[in-house]
Amino acid sequence: MDAKVTRTSSSARAAEPGDVAAVRTAAYSRLFRKFVLLTLLCSVVPLLLVGWGINLHYTRFAKQRMLNYFETQIDYHRKIIEMFISEHSSKLQIIARTHTREHLARVENLQEAFNALNREMQAVTDLGLIDAQGNHLAYVGPYDLMSRNYAREPWFRQVMEKGIFISDMFMGFRREPHFIIAVTQLKNGEKWILRTTINTEAFRALVENVRIGQTGQVYLLNQEGLFQTSPRSKSTIMGVSNYPMGPFHEGIQIRTLDGLQDDQGRTKPRQIASQVWLKDPRWLLVVKQDYAEAFDDVNYANTWTLIFLHVSALSILLASILITRHMITIIKRRDLQADQLNEQVLQAGKLASIGELSAGVAHEINNPLAIILTERQLVLDAAKHLPMEGPEFREQLDDSLNQIDVQVQRCKRITQNLLRFSRRTESLIEPVDLNAFIREVVELMDREARSSGIKFFTELDPTLPPLLSDPSQLQQVFLNLITNAIDAHDGMPYGSIRLTTRAEEGLRQAHVAVADTGSGISPAHLARIFDPFFTTKTVGKGTGLGLSICYSIVKRLGGSISVRSEKGKGTEFSIVLPYTPPPELQESLAENTARAKGA
Amino acid sequence: MTGSRVLLVDDETIFTRNMSKLLTFRGYTVTAVNSGDAAIRELEQNHFDVVVLDLKMPGMDGITTLKEIQKLGLFTETLILTGHGSIDSALEAMKLGAYDYLTKPCEIDELVAKIEAAGAKKEGKD
Repeated sequence: MDAKVTRTSSSARAAEPGDVAAVRTAAYSRLFRKFVLLTLLCSVVPLLLVGWGINLHYTRFAKQRMLNYFETQIDYHRKIIEMFISEHSSKLQIIARTHTREHLARVENLQEAFNALNREMQAVTDLGLIDAQGNHLAYVGPYDLMSRNYAREPWFRQVMEKGIFISDMFMGFRREPHFIIAVTQLKNGEKWILRTTINTEAFRALVENVRIGQTGQVYLLNQEGLFQTSPRSKSTIMGVSNYPMGPFHEGIQIRTLDGLQDDQGRTKPRQIASQVWLKDPRWLLVVKQDYAEAFDDVNYANTWTLIFLHVSALSILLASILITRHMITIIKRRDLQADQLNEQVLQAGKLASIGELSAGVAHEINNPLAIILTERQLVLDAAKHLPMEGPEFREQLDDSLNQIDVQVQRCKRITQNLLRFSRRTESLIEPVDLNAFIREVVELMDREARSSGIKFFTELDPTLPPLLSDPSQLQQVFLNLITNAIDAHDGMPYGSIRLTTRAEEGLRQAHVAVADTGSGISPAHLARIFDPFFTTKTVGKGTGLGLSICYSIVKRLGGSISVRSEKGKGTEFSIVLPYTPPPELQESLAENTARAKGA
Repeated sequence: MTGSRVLLVDDETIFTRNMSKLLTFRGYTVTAVNSGDAAIRELEQNHFDVVVLDLKMPGMDGITTLKEIQKLGLFTETLILTGHGSIDSALEAMKLGAYDYLTKPCEIDELVAKIEAAGAKKEGKD
């Protein structure tokens, strides 16, 4: 038994509204998280994966294209430079082979050869004929070099050994950076040298006249790492480069350079460089650009793709959150409506139970009343035929028997009211005399009202015709309103409830007003009094459903209900009911009529 | 129509006893029984002009008794007299062929008027 009690109380505790609300809130939060997570898994994650994948692929592709471009650029440059040098070497060799030393020793002939070399472009600065001892035999050019002896110069030794020599940049007697091409020719057992100086400016223009972005550089380095042309930076020809050359290699090499320092010792940004060794002279051609600039387009596209991708993902997420929140709000509202419906069903169930109980009680009372009435009649019959001693006794007997009849009829009215209340819970439309109906309701509630010091007043319009309506539902409406009106006098010694009916023939509708002299409703509460579960009564006294049920019943019957209240003075509920119910309730009327005819 | 034979069927013995006296005093020949079964037995053996029948009785209730009476095919009118005055039960009883319907407690004069009317109808049938 104890266990049963404990179980009951625990289940009662589980059903407390606060607990239910907390459980529901947790369930809604779970639902919200699930929906959002599902959206993330089904749309945002795939979007990001596909987006990142495509972006990665594009970046690789674009970078590879850039590297290919670098390779093409350096290869093209290498060919131009090599062609330039080889062309001038060949021209010099042809002049040496096709002319005698004596011929070239004459200045006008050497000038002619110089002109031939410079015919297409001003690519050479001077041309000199030098004997095996290093002395100038003839010279055409802007410098005064006739008296110079080159026997000790490194290039002299090299050309005497190899027959053709292309030098690195050097200062020489003229004290400015230049490089020479020299060839030897042997005739009649004697060697002589034809030497030309490549125009440094023309050569620089050839090498450097390539613009690769803002930070691009093209330059040549000799094997010692000295600049053979000046790069765009402030370094000069023959200056020492800090470029990490590495050992000789065949073909083009692409490198990424990090942490290089400029002349001021500042760390340069990351750079991408391609390098290739020339065949002759053995110079390193370098094409270099800041990494950020080289891949600027890729990085730009990359950045915007990622921005677009993340904004899209964020938008989807945001939309998902908003939609989910909206859905949860709808679910919450539906749940609340379901709760209200359940509560109404519960309320209807309670009323039905009360109805059944009332019917039983009425029957049980009616039987003894019937016996009392027969007993009275027996006494009355007997009194008619039996002699009575004294007129006072007969008068008293008649008076008592009449009083028995009066009280029995009074009890009968009470039981009839109870039976009427219990009649039906389903909607059944039938003619209702609203005035008589209100009188009955008042009679039913009179005792309760009187015990609270409240009097009923009625102002009923005698011209009001019978309405086609549902009496059991109307009864519920008026019982709820009157109960509320009685409760509104809580703490007051006396008060009154006035019920008024008025016919509005033109509009074919009836007005019913229930006005009390109770405490009234504050304006803040007035807007919410028809909301389900809204109550100002103390806990346990009201469910907050009474007026909500009234509202839904009146609406269903095709009418309307409104309220007017003043705090401290009282409240008046006005109900308008049509003479005929709305079409959907007409079917019920037809059914009722059919039943009556069948009877 | 005084002198009609009336069968009173009600589980309230005091009520049937009193009502028998009242009706007998008004010239009717009254037989009172306290259950549906007893009423059927009585009707099988004797002739009655009017049956005054309660609806709510232990054992066979009024509606079942009425159905059984109808099955017997007698020239008898049935008046329903019950404390359970619902429209539904009244409609059902009328559908089953009851002559009229009265709710308890009712005045003797009211009952007598109904018995007379029922008797008159029965005479018309005869």
